Amino acid sequence: MSEPSAVLTGLNPPETSASEPRAKRKSKDFKRNNAVGYLFISPWLIGFFLFAFIPIAISLYLAFTNYHLLRGGEWVGLDNFERMFTSDIRYGRSVIATFKYVLTAVPLRLIFALAVALLLNTKRHGVYWFRAAYYIPSVIGGSVAVAVMWRQLFGGDGRVNEGVINTFIGVLGFERVNWFGNPDTAIWTLILLAIWQFGSPMLIFLAGLRQIPAELYEAASIDGAHGWQKFIGVTLPLLTPIIFFNFIMQMIAGFRVFTQAFVITGGNPLDSTLFYALYLYRRAFNDFQMGYASAMAWVLLLIIAFFTLISFRLSKYWVFYETKEG
Amino acid sequence: MQSIKHRAFILLSVVALLLIMGSAAFAQDVQQMRVVWWGSQARHDRTIAVVEMYETEHPEVDIVYEFANFNDYWTLMNTQAAGGELACVMQQDYAYLSEWARNGLLMPLDSFVESGAIDLSAADDVYIAGGRTDGQLFGVSLGTNSQSIIIDVDAFEAAGVELPALDWTWDDFEAIALQLHESLGTWAYGSPSLGDDQIWTAMMVSLGLTPFNEDGTALGFSDDQPIIDHFSRLLRLQEAGAIMTPEEASQYATGPENSPIVVGAAAMQYQWSNQVVAIFAAAGGERHLRLWPMPRPATAVGAANYLKPSMFFSISSTCAMPDVAADFINFFTNSVEANAILAAERGVPISSTIRESLLPTLDATGIETFTFLETVAEFASPIFPPNPPGYNDIRNNVWIPLFHDPVLYGQIPVEEGVTLFRSEAEAILSAN
Repeated sequence: MSEPSAVLTGLNPPETSASEPRAKRKSKDFKRNNAVGYLFISPWLIGFFLFAFIPIAISLYLAFTNYHLLRGGEWVGLDNFERMFTSDIRYGRSVIATFKYVLTAVPLRLIFALAVALLLNTKRHGVYWFRAAYYIPSVIGGSVAVAVMWRQLFGGDGRVNEGVINTFIGVLGFERVNWFGNPDTAIWTLILLAIWQFGSPMLIFLAGLRQIPAELYEAASIDGAHGWQKFIGVTLPLLTPIIFFNFIMQMIAGFRVFTQAFVITGGNPLDSTLFYALYLYRRAFNDFQMGYASAMAWVLLLIIAFFTLISFRLSKYWVFYETKEG
Repeated sequence: MQSIKHRAFILLSVVALLLIMGSAAFAQDVQQMRVVWWGSQARHDRTIAVVEMYETEHPEVDIVYEFANFNDYWTLMNTQAAGGELACVMQQDYAYLSEWARNGLLMPLDSFVESGAIDLSAADDVYIAGGRTDGQLFGVSLGTNSQSIIIDVDAFEAAGVELPALDWTWDDFEAIALQLHESLGTWAYGSPSLGDDQIWTAMMVSLGLTPFNEDGTALGFSDDQPIIDHFSRLLRLQEAGAIMTPEEASQYATGPENSPIVVGAAAMQYQWSNQVVAIFAAAGGERHLRLWPMPRPATAVGAANYLKPSMFFSISSTCAMPDVAADFINFFTNSVEANAILAAERGVPISSTIRESLLPTLDATGIETFTFLETVAEFASPIFPPNPPGYNDIRNNVWIPLFHDPVLYGQIPVEEGVTLFRSEAEAILSAN
């Protein structure tokens, strides 16, 4: 056993021994610098491991158990997933409600954001003020206070606590709508709230619109293009990377929608607004079925990952990158 | 430079260490005990006053209290139980008591009762029994409760409808509701729903059945007909406009001041007797509201009413000072001064001495509640065993969303709903 090591030491050329101390010192410095670096980011590292990585790892484990906060639990393999896809009726309802929301709220919000961004992308008086004003709903829109306000706007029937929306409808001579009691309309109050919070995609669209070179519009004008033609032929293609980015971000946010349904409708009526995250929360913190809720959370992650991946795959058919083509 | 820094650091550490040791030594003189409860603001104020009263009498005890509303409370408690950090004295609910006891989270209280540390000599056994699980006492009832129908006597008079008998049936209820609706034009009955899971359990009690079997592994009844009959009746009454549909009920904002009977939109309303105080108060003194026992099915063998402990105080099994905890519970149960402050807000007290001491101080609402419970106590059915684990799951994920709502919204026929309820509920219970 000692022979190979002798050979190995013999391989060390004596010439290098002169440069060795310097190299050693260098690597020592490097290590020390690294240690200092890690020390500096340690608050973040500790936070990340303690509050993100470890809980995530535990939830992955819990997803394969029937862990109940009070009763404990044991390994059940894939039972949670089987239950989700075969026997849990409310799970199916929550998936349907969530898809309904994502498929309507996300495109509508993007269209609205783009429309307003186009309006604000002009050199008119007071345009800066409007930009700030339209962004405010996005800043406060996810808050509980706005959700409570929304509830009051749409609530009531004219007998008790009539909401402003119904008063308005009544004044216009239409029949008042029981927004939250009717399973067909309840989800639309949440979708409307989502559309109203168009501020952050709007700002990104605005930035994108600024990037479009003015000479392209000039060239289009010379070719005789009108406003709408310019929009279809110049603005939209050059904006596709921005649209794509906004779409991905909004879609992910859409799948995770929670606060609005939690505060405004509570998942009612008839589970028509029982969004995935809300049902997950209820299973975890009302029923204390942490194992099942963890499994639901991981499936949600897979759903989001799947649709994000699909979107990226499909993006090459419609997203136009100027740099690539040029 | 460096050595000065070093010295300063060492000096600081020593000072800090001394401070920590000092405060630890100081803390030993006073025993800290945690007490937790759920409730409304009125309950918080009264309970805190009593906690302070106890602290003045026992300067060696420092009580740290926490409170929350019902849902947050249970999230908090379950989290603390999982972390092994339960408070010494915790408020418990009949729905959870046995599950918590069976999971070894609560301390049996029988030895304290035998030694007299918790003196229950002034309480009849019917008020204590609800706190027993598997033959051991795990909670001391803080008040007694029963289900009731609030009746607006003025509305009945205006409609020319006679007040029902105390042992009225659901058939009587239907007839009265239709009469009231016809002559008043308002709803006979408002929210909350008459299809509540607790009305179903009350119905089983009056039929001489229990909602669940003895081990909690299945439903305790095999005939679904009473449930089918009840929901068919509710659908008929909805159709006639005599009771609210769930859609109509959703338009009423929560809170007693908005409840239909208070705003004059309905003549009857279902409520637990310890919760009527807020409704009576919101309705104002000039209204004549009375409490009536629950209607029974026509085939009933006994009353639909039973006496239920509205809530308990329990001692957690991890409590380091059970004697102090027991003494506090005893104080809460038997101190006349403490109960003068608590004023039966948690339900009618279990001790007859306390009830007598409270009688002269009661207002009209209090008298109505006390006399209602005395009336009910005469014919009440025995309470069914505490709900098995999974009851909440059944209520939240089966009874309301799969059966109650779809049936009352008219989406599925009653029979189909009941079949679904039974199969889903039994699937949950079979895990016990």
